[in-house]
Amino acid sequence: MSATRQRPGGAESAAPGAARAAPRAAVRRPAFERLPLLLLGFVALLAGIGGGLARLAWPMPQAVAQAAAWHGPLMVCGFFGVVISLERAVAVGRAWAYAAPLLAGVGTALALHGLGGWAPLLYLAAGIVLALATLSVLQHQRENFVVMLALAAALWPLGTALWIGGAALHEVLPWWLGFLVLTIAGERLELSRLMPPSPAALRLFALIVAALLAALAAAPFAAQPAARGFGFGLVLLSCWLARCDVARRTVLQRGLTRFIALCLLAGYVWLALGGAVMVLAGLRPGTPAYDAALHALLLGFVFSMVFGHAPIIFPAVLRVSLPYHPVFYAPLALLHASVALRLLGDALGAYGLTRWGALGSALALAAFIAVMAAAVLRSRRGRRGVAPRRSGPG
Amino acid sequence: MNTLDDDGVRELLSAVIDPEVGMNIVELGLVYGIDVSQERVHVLLTMTSAACPMTEMIVDDAYERLAAALPPETEIDIELVWEPPWTPERMSEAARIVFGWHPPR
Repeated sequence: MSATRQRPGGAESAAPGAARAAPRAAVRRPAFERLPLLLLGFVALLAGIGGGLARLAWPMPQAVAQAAAWHGPLMVCGFFGVVISLERAVAVGRAWAYAAPLLAGVGTALALHGLGGWAPLLYLAAGIVLALATLSVLQHQRENFVVMLALAAALWPLGTALWIGGAALHEVLPWWLGFLVLTIAGERLELSRLMPPSPAALRLFALIVAALLAALAAAPFAAQPAARGFGFGLVLLSCWLARCDVARRTVLQRGLTRFIALCLLAGYVWLALGGAVMVLAGLRPGTPAYDAALHALLLGFVFSMVFGHAPIIFPAVLRVSLPYHPVFYAPLALLHASVALRLLGDALGAYGLTRWGALGSALALAAFIAVMAAAVLRSRRGRRGVAPRRSGPG
Repeated sequence: MNTLDDDGVRELLSAVIDPEVGMNIVELGLVYGIDVSQERVHVLLTMTSAACPMTEMIVDDAYERLAAALPPETEIDIELVWEPPWTPERMSEAARIVFGWHPPR
């Protein structure tokens, strides 16, 4: 991949492993050509959040409120789908892999322009490309965690196919949850190799994943027992991760490394809680427990992980510098406090608390994006000031 | 005219950190080979994961560290390789201690 980065225009053409020498004079150049794809993801994020707030009766502009029915698909397929498939495309370095974020982004655009009928098909196509891109990694690396990532990626198009086939969103959501949770679990499995889990621990991991997949497959026959089983699998997974994740060690370091580790460890608490709510209450749409389980998992766990990794994934995707700053903790704290408030509201039947919790989460996401953007701008201004100084990673 | 030897290059590469784990690529055992000649520095580099988007950034960083220290006429060739596959045993003793494990005998 070294060859690709200095050759303007040809950035995506070479596969990893085919990397070769770079022209000596070249310097790092931001990969702004990837920005439109990322922006498509952020359009979905914005509309998805707005639609979510509209559902909780927060006043929203008409255009955003119309997205209320699309809250789930916009967040999962439109945002996470784009972000995950874009970072995967950067990793595999093949031009065709970029079709995944593009297709998902177009799906979002159609959904927001009253052509919602087409969006699921585009999300399906995006998911298939992501799964294929992940499978292509196996050419370079035959490791358990790659199989795991490919399996996780396949859950996105599988769930989306069920949706197209007429399944209700609440029936599709566990598949999409599986896509996100197992993608993260696969990445953590990879990193756990730095403090290698015992063979017994690896077998246990495989067993937990098998149980989660079995629960997904069982859902059409016994929806609520399957949802409870899925929740139990998530609780077990959180325990495994809390025990074997390298974050346990890296949290002892400083700066960005510690921030990432704390994002993950805090996320595991919500993974366990979200799973536990599903064990107790199943997944019944419209109930407070449904709201609690999904948002503990997606905001508390998945977004916490996103907060941790944005400071390294952003620079990796856009090739810009994004130096760590302790202010990163402010939106993270707001995110976790707001999820706690929301779940408290759900538990007490206090709708007001849930509403405010949701607003808090939206503000946390907005604050986080602002903090990230400020960090990039600060570093760019700094670079222009002192001409050719080369500084730390990212 | 090249002014660095293998160890010099290795030391420069020790400044390239994987921010996720806060450990440099030399200690992680990701540098498979360094070949320094008069007009060229050739580095064989691997990654723990081929599915990780940070690869490009780490290669960029390694390139910039070398470019900053080497005369402009020296060719820098950072080659990304996946064979042999990286295993945890490649980590340095110091890295293993940080991550709290000892290799099986």
